[in-house]
Amino acid sequence: MVSGRSLEATTALITGAFGAAVIVSSLDNGIGWSAAGVESGTFPLIVGLVILAGSLFNLVQGWLHARAVILGPSEFRRLATLFVPAAVFVGVIPLIGMYPAAALYVFGALAWHRRGSLLLAAVAAIGAALALYLMFELTFHISMPRGALGTFFGF
Amino acid sequence: MENLEALMHGFGIALSGNHIFLMVIGVLLGILVGVLPGLGAPNGVSLLLPLTFGMQPVSAIILLSSMYWGALFGGSVTSILFNIPGEPSSVATTFDGYPMARDGRPTTALATAFGSAAFGALAGVVLITLAASWVAQVALAFGPPEYFAVYFLAFASFIGMGGSPPIKTLVSLAIGFALAAVGIDTVSGSVRLTMGIDEMVKGVSFVVAVMGLFGIGELMIAVEEEFHVKAISSRVEWREVFRTLVGLPKHGWALLRSAAIGCWMGITPGGPTAASFMSYGIAKRLSPRRANFGKGEPEGIVAPEAADHAAGTSALLPMLSLGIPGSATAAVMMGGLMIWGLNPGPMLFVEQKDFVWGLIASMYLGNVVAVVLVLLTVPIFAALMRVPFFIIAPVIVIICTVGAYSVSNSYLDVMLMMGFGVLGYLFKKLHYPLAPLVLAIVIGDKAEDAFRQSMLMSKGSLGIFFAKPLVTTLILLGAALLLMPTIWRTIGRMMPRSEVKP
Amino acid sequence: MSQKPTFAAIAFGLAIGLTGAANAAWQPAKPIEFIATAGPGGGTDNFARAVQNIITKYKLVEQPIVVVNKAGGSGAEGYTYTKAMAGDPYKVVFGTSNAWNQPMVSKVAYNYTDLTPIAAMVHDEFLLWVKQDAPYQNVQDFLKAVAAKPPGDVKMGGAQSKDTDETLTRMIDKAAKVKFVYIPFKSGAEAAVQLAGGHIDAHVNNPSESIGQWKGSTQRPLCAFSPQRLPDGPKVTATQNWHDIPTCVESGLAIPQFQQPRTVWLPGKVTADQAAFYVDLMKKVQATPEWKEYIERTSQTDTFLTGDAFNKFIKEDIERTRKVAADEGWLISN
Repeated sequence: MVSGRSLEATTALITGAFGAAVIVSSLDNGIGWSAAGVESGTFPLIVGLVILAGSLFNLVQGWLHARAVILGPSEFRRLATLFVPAAVFVGVIPLIGMYPAAALYVFGALAWHRRGSLLLAAVAAIGAALALYLMFELTFHISMPRGALGTFFGF
Repeated sequence: MENLEALMHGFGIALSGNHIFLMVIGVLLGILVGVLPGLGAPNGVSLLLPLTFGMQPVSAIILLSSMYWGALFGGSVTSILFNIPGEPSSVATTFDGYPMARDGRPTTALATAFGSAAFGALAGVVLITLAASWVAQVALAFGPPEYFAVYFLAFASFIGMGGSPPIKTLVSLAIGFALAAVGIDTVSGSVRLTMGIDEMVKGVSFVVAVMGLFGIGELMIAVEEEFHVKAISSRVEWREVFRTLVGLPKHGWALLRSAAIGCWMGITPGGPTAASFMSYGIAKRLSPRRANFGKGEPEGIVAPEAADHAAGTSALLPMLSLGIPGSATAAVMMGGLMIWGLNPGPMLFVEQKDFVWGLIASMYLGNVVAVVLVLLTVPIFAALMRVPFFIIAPVIVIICTVGAYSVSNSYLDVMLMMGFGVLGYLFKKLHYPLAPLVLAIVIGDKAEDAFRQSMLMSKGSLGIFFAKPLVTTLILLGAALLLMPTIWRTIGRMMPRSEVKP
Repeated sequence: MSQKPTFAAIAFGLAIGLTGAANAAWQPAKPIEFIATAGPGGGTDNFARAVQNIITKYKLVEQPIVVVNKAGGSGAEGYTYTKAMAGDPYKVVFGTSNAWNQPMVSKVAYNYTDLTPIAAMVHDEFLLWVKQDAPYQNVQDFLKAVAAKPPGDVKMGGAQSKDTDETLTRMIDKAAKVKFVYIPFKSGAEAAVQLAGGHIDAHVNNPSESIGQWKGSTQRPLCAFSPQRLPDGPKVTATQNWHDIPTCVESGLAIPQFQQPRTVWLPGKVTADQAAFYVDLMKKVQATPEWKEYIERTSQTDTFLTGDAFNKFIKEDIERTRKVAADEGWLISN
């Protein structure tokens, strides 16, 4: 269960951390005016300060005025059923390559929902990978990652 | 009238069976690359370019520009159906297009978009026909301070519309600016904000950010809120397409205004993205149905689409007459022009009359071909909305992944895209507006460059923004747009108070 | 990722051995990726695509060739990517002198020593351009007018910052004892339009970046930064062609030579055989009529440098740029 308060706080902390990182890295670049005009760190510094200050405001504001609960257990579960497989799909691309990953992902999604036979799911999975290949690799000459597996087999 | 004669001559060149065939091929290919996120008109153009070397220059440019029209139209399809804008300029179309499609009216949304887009494109071509030489002169008046003023105006007309908590809007905008600054800075040549990741020197691509923020983010919202697309009847809705088109003149004023904004931003270097955002912002301020914006209001589709296409079309003119490519696609086409032995520049209109007027005539025809083809595909695209969610969800994830990867063959971009997905979900859930972030990614660094170039020219004096009538007018207009809502709100607040206090 | 596919290579070697075509020289066994360190339509992109077209047309390589644009960070994206591909002979990167000059002035994550030099295939020329209706007839007039104004009043535009255009501007500063304010734009084409609009006073574009503008009488070249005049050819304007433009030295601006080489590299740690294959390939490309045509169309100069000559060229160019960069305080500490 996730409360509105903690979600607001998390988001404000993420944006605030980003703002702080922007400030720190802008300091590498020089601030203010020089012979070469406005120095390259100036705008990032200002923008970083705005993000940080805004995030602090949102943190306090969110803490005081947030709605009680926005994510119940069932919402959370539904989010997980989308996000976890998607993250796994993205995560295995460097290992097994784009095409096998996409095929497994489609197969997994169809099999999980148990509509139609496994054979149908397998056909759809291979079809999806093939469609990707035809469209990107063959037509538009964009090569997809082969992954460690593909490298092993010499693609 | 000399121009009209030349145009008639141009029609004579463009209206051959061979050329119409090329237009159809070009448009279909364009729709394909436009619909697939990550691919865009530049991919299609560079694919076709080698095929054109043997052709007449007119035939070649007809093929390529038709593909450009197709891609412009195709870009709106995914914005409306899945909330995934394939091009920066179709982001604003998602604001009302997607809600309307989700509401069970994808056919209406697509037909509205295509109809207004066609109107905008037509306005752009008419402008080119009638005022080609004048337009080129206007474009020359824009130096760095004027560029900055145009970007400022674009921000001003879009921000300050209210609706979202102001501090959240500010944070979102500032994050966009920071992301736009990542990579090599044009003015100093130094590396900025790479946070220790070497590859980040290439900057954060708009496509990567938008696939995550809009595509993945919206998917997460839809799953979590158990949102179901309203049932759509399985009939092919030709009648609905027709009814929508016939009903478009209702929005006549919005169409005209948006096309005007589009033409203006296309000639001045604002470009299609700034045009569509600005047009949406202004429509929202002026419309009597203001409150419906963001919930599937037709005028919220009309405004950005008409402006986007008007700008996209009129932006080809500076390319031809001045040799500045307004977009990546235009840049590839310019490369093509040179390979065919033509030099874009002021003399093109004098030396290559057949080529130039053949091209302009083909803009009329190509847009007609494009809008007919694209309207024919509306029911097919609308049918995509009937695919069950458990199938469409992995497909969207895969398309976003492949799209993010293909921007520069980089796995880092895929990771970033997923990160943006989570951020997009959080932002949406907590009412942070995403549009300012996107606008800032697209034109934030250009605005910064223009500002710093101006400062170099003026040795650090802000007076340069008030030195000439053009730039002063633009700046004042921007300031007025920025402050107006605040002033109105203050007045609005003071009125009831004075009643309470007697 | 960049590991060589050993078992496939063995299989391929066997196949070749069986057909009797085997010799010591290396041959590509899978598609080759050309990495252009510029966006679509840019000079380097046109360069890479011209080479690709010629190779494909004459079937100089059996394997397909794909051009990928990695233009981010003024080309740093492409070089950084290639550096990470060390040992992979299927990545060929196309660039300019920024391969060795950019690491000198900005904190990018590569240096040219991370790459294997193949060749410098062509040199793009630089000219000094002013607005058509400017009162100056020659370089001397112009420089005198600049010297008469307070330093930083006359605006020189150019592509990118601390790259060739700005380096050349600073060399002019020194040679003529003047001080321009340099305004960096995204590209030479943009600078050309700014000059046509009168927002800047001069720029140092390549011929192909401004030929349309010259034809259209919005700007004209004063002199060329080359040792001799550019080759004779068809008239560009009613009265002049490139050969009619004097060299800068001729007209009293003592900068004898400033050119932009278009360069080809492999990733580091490739074998000598592999590098030799590409040197040979580029030589074959250079011998075709299409290559001549490409060079003429873009008004560049044909100079094929490879091996020691290329290395010597790099050394000299670094020497020269470092001097300017040190004086301007651009050098980064490393």
